[in-house]
Amino acid sequence: MLHVENLTASIGDTSILKGLNLDVGAGEIHAIMGPNGSGKSTLAHALAGRDGYEIGGTVTLDGVDLLEMVPEDRAAAGVFMGFQYPVEIPGVNNMYFLRTALNSVRRARGDEQIGASDFLKGAQDAMDLVEMNHDFLYRSVNAGFSGGEKKRNEILQMAVMQPKLAVLDETDSGLDIDALRVVAAGVNSLRGPDRSMIVITHYQRLLDYIKPDFVHVLVDGKIVKSGDHTLALHLEDHGYADFVNHDLDDAPLTGAPA
Amino acid sequence: MSETMRGIEKLTEADYEFGFSTDLDTDIAPPGLTEETVRLISAKKDEPEWLLAWRLKAFLAWQEMDEPDWTKLQIAPIDYQSISYWAAPKQRPVLDSMDDVDPDIREMFDKLGIPLHEQKILSNVAVDAIVDSVSVVTTFKETLLEAGVIFCSFSEAVQDYPELIKEHLGSVVPVRDNFFAALNSAVFSDGSFCYIPEGVRCPMELSTYFRINSMNTGQFERTLIVAEDDSHVSYLEGCTAPQRDENQLHAAVVELVAKDRSEIKYSTVQNWYPGDENGVGGIYNFVTKRGRAHTDAKISWTQVETGSAITWKYPSVILQGDRSVGEFYSVALTSKHQQADTGTKMIHIGADTTSSIISKGISAAQGQNTYRGLVKILRSAENARNYTQCDSLLLGKECGAHTVPYIEVKNPTAQVEHEASTSTVGEDQLYYCRQRGMNEEDAMAMIVNGFCREVFDELPMEFAVEAQRLLSVSLEGSVG
Amino acid sequence: MNQAALAFRSAALEQMASLTLPTKRDEAWRYAPHKALGQLTFGPATATDAVLGDIDSQIPHIDGPRIVIVNGVVDSAQSQLDTLPAGVKLVSLAGMPADLVESALDRQHDTIDDAFSIINRAYGEGGALLMVDGRPAETIHIVDIAVPDVSQNASASRVVIAMEAESSATVVETRIGHSDAFGGSNVRTEISLAADASLEHMILQDLPTTQIHLGRVDVMQEAGSTLRARLFNLGSDYGRVAYHVHLDGEGAHADLSGLYFGFGTQTLDQQITVVHSAKNCTSRQSYRGVLDDSSTGIWNGGVDVRPGADGTDSEQSNDNLLLSRKAEVNTMPRLEILADEVSCQHGATVGQLDDAALYYLRSRGIPNEEASRLLINGFADQMMDDLESDAIRSWITERLGHDDA
Repeated sequence: MLHVENLTASIGDTSILKGLNLDVGAGEIHAIMGPNGSGKSTLAHALAGRDGYEIGGTVTLDGVDLLEMVPEDRAAAGVFMGFQYPVEIPGVNNMYFLRTALNSVRRARGDEQIGASDFLKGAQDAMDLVEMNHDFLYRSVNAGFSGGEKKRNEILQMAVMQPKLAVLDETDSGLDIDALRVVAAGVNSLRGPDRSMIVITHYQRLLDYIKPDFVHVLVDGKIVKSGDHTLALHLEDHGYADFVNHDLDDAPLTGAPA
Repeated sequence: MSETMRGIEKLTEADYEFGFSTDLDTDIAPPGLTEETVRLISAKKDEPEWLLAWRLKAFLAWQEMDEPDWTKLQIAPIDYQSISYWAAPKQRPVLDSMDDVDPDIREMFDKLGIPLHEQKILSNVAVDAIVDSVSVVTTFKETLLEAGVIFCSFSEAVQDYPELIKEHLGSVVPVRDNFFAALNSAVFSDGSFCYIPEGVRCPMELSTYFRINSMNTGQFERTLIVAEDDSHVSYLEGCTAPQRDENQLHAAVVELVAKDRSEIKYSTVQNWYPGDENGVGGIYNFVTKRGRAHTDAKISWTQVETGSAITWKYPSVILQGDRSVGEFYSVALTSKHQQADTGTKMIHIGADTTSSIISKGISAAQGQNTYRGLVKILRSAENARNYTQCDSLLLGKECGAHTVPYIEVKNPTAQVEHEASTSTVGEDQLYYCRQRGMNEEDAMAMIVNGFCREVFDELPMEFAVEAQRLLSVSLEGSVG
Repeated sequence: MNQAALAFRSAALEQMASLTLPTKRDEAWRYAPHKALGQLTFGPATATDAVLGDIDSQIPHIDGPRIVIVNGVVDSAQSQLDTLPAGVKLVSLAGMPADLVESALDRQHDTIDDAFSIINRAYGEGGALLMVDGRPAETIHIVDIAVPDVSQNASASRVVIAMEAESSATVVETRIGHSDAFGGSNVRTEISLAADASLEHMILQDLPTTQIHLGRVDVMQEAGSTLRARLFNLGSDYGRVAYHVHLDGEGAHADLSGLYFGFGTQTLDQQITVVHSAKNCTSRQSYRGVLDDSSTGIWNGGVDVRPGADGTDSEQSNDNLLLSRKAEVNTMPRLEILADEVSCQHGATVGQLDDAALYYLRSRGIPNEEASRLLINGFADQMMDDLESDAIRSWITERLGHDDA
């Protein structure tokens, strides 16, 4: 489904991704793990189309070239990114935001627009999924949300958008154990044969709840090791030292911007 | 240039959608302003002697006054002798029935989306339509009269309710108040008058729709609203003008009198022609708006200012009675070469008076936006409270945002709080919206609308929708 | 007189011919006592023969170099200029060596437009020149004393501070007056900070309440420099200090703060303008006022962000307490922004003591009056929280009539 070949990303003279290869099949969950500054968030932004990087290589989704597309077109093509730091948009209520997003994507795909009441019904189901109080729909997007609320809001949006490919960037960061459980349950319920996911995380903890089909270790802009979920357990015990040491001199001092 | 910047630039190349002019048979006075002009206007309107005397007093005062010190505004000198001070569609007199309205005028208002056919009106709004300073029609007059509410053109009011006009005209904005108020007092041609008797809650929204149509004319209308004890009224005002290369002058005066325990809510959506992208043409909008709130009364101004080449207005409240309340909610958008210098004055005289000010300024392209305000707590104003919040949003590198608040406090029991911030639309906000599938224009419009939310929430429903749309249109470019 | 100095002065004297004093219509002088200002008389600096007595009891006891200026003339006997720290030059402007004249006079500060600055140029030939090329530990003390004279009741003097690259210093300017006669002082301070220099500058204004103080501080900052300017505006019938700070180099930082505490019929006026002309500069303005009796406080604080000064970050706050029915305050936090990617915030409040706090203290047995005093002092003392010098702190608290808690 997703095919990434020799992907490079840099900002100015700083090279962050240095030829990354990845294939994600339909229905699969891939975990990307790696130390700080290894390029994990840059990978997510390269897939979602953030401005500011010089990108090289190939990325296709179901054979369609993603790299040429602006972010909204990638969203329409089915890419959803769960942000590590969800952005606050004061004065715009969550429901209006989400409905506009959904209808934008539907319009791009040539689908019919969804009316307010139908949308509300779907959104409420999604809210129950992430155990979110229905008031949240009427609050400004992420404004004044706690860290956990923001992350649940990301999953809520994913449930509404029903993407083909979800890229979840450090969805576990800043969550207590209860919130982590809720978020993971939400993600698991959205698993399906037609939906692929890339779960980016620093810690193995999240993978106790969301069991990946594959685990990749990203170090210094490249995938240095791939395996099944037992690889994550190995990292839990041994850290990234095994993968980092031999390459220490080349490690970038600063990571990608969040 | 970043992609965002390009996006903003595209967004701010908006077209003015009300720029058409209508071929109306118009009665127009030759340009120039002398005592004779004032006498002519008064005679055309068949005014009583006292009103002519009042106008002449204003004219004398105006001759001695200087134009205000423009401060932030860059403005070409105005030649007051090149303006025509009287223009009216020839179809007279003003009629009460829609069937008698000139079809051209009716069509013009249809085009503007202002329904003048009562039977077609779904929303509960009475309209006074004013073209080139003259009221052409007032809808729902009968229904309103049943409730005791007087809603008519100013000219009619002078004939039909001279005592009410005589008592209140100039009682809030004296003729010498400022240069433009004096000019207006001398030459005002028409406007709306509204009177809500004691204890009456006006059964529908009242609305005046202003349209400048003729060339080389100024529009000088006068609005007076009197709310007697325990009454309530919500009043809406909208304005557009054709697209012309000359600057046209609009100098209006609005006076509100809110007697004990009454409430006046005054909303404006101002969309005069702003001039083109090179700063050619556009309306000079110099308006004096002020209300006097008596005991326990409340005056609330809400304005959405997206039009005009220059906007200069400070809707104000004199909080005279104890426990009176003044509110000011404002969105001012300046794009192209527009300049806005707007804000409010809250003058606290009575005890336990409260005022709040929420101002949202948006600057794009070469627009310059200034919030200028005064909060004055006099010695007599025991326990007065004010809260002010002024936020500015900058969309681009060539625009400017300025905040100039004056806070003067002479009573130790006062509590005054002023907060201001200036920010830009974050790249991360746009990216977030785009990742969710919105295009850049929609994302920008959504974020800017969100910034204005607190003000839009104060508008009556129909106006809020209109305001949001206008804001998007003003920021929108040629899509695709 | 040196040729350059002469040209400088005669230009100002020429301007004086057509001098008009500010009026209510001048924004920066809107609330000033114009009648009293019109009664100030200026002239060339002349040494006074008045006997000043012990000035040490009137100023904070700061160890270190000291220069004392009386009516615009340096009083060598009262000054301590013998053992200056390494890298410090501190001399009288009037008798300065020719090679220093240029640095003292030829400064690219704002065009002088207001009447009192022109007067200062014309008559303020005396004063102090401080040049720092190093990081002296001692605080440098500049004392200005106004002594109303028969021929002219007001004095003019200048202070020039030049901080070389990467230098650092602390300078205190104490401004007082002698006798109860009407008169005052007009002091202009010109500060330049070269790249990465750092200056802590403090003004202690405490002229008698029969007099007027007009202070103006012009600052030019180059890249990476830091200014910490504090004002304790306490004395004078009309005590005014105006700051014009120019952030001209990338990454410069200015942090201005102050306290004004008015009694009687005092008017205390602070006029602050910080101009951001370079990228990524930061500025802070934080001022507090307490106004008792029939006193008036004025705070007019502005931030101008010029085109190109992207990445500006500024904050302004002004909080006021009104303690009396006849006191008043006028506050104007201004913002003028012509750049992109800026974050500017300001806030201003006027209020009285917090009822809940007062109640809390009283519930603990503290009488109302005592509790009020505690809260007022607490409000004012926060402006002294990070004052390093105990001598200055106790001088201020003594002046405000409360013990240092």
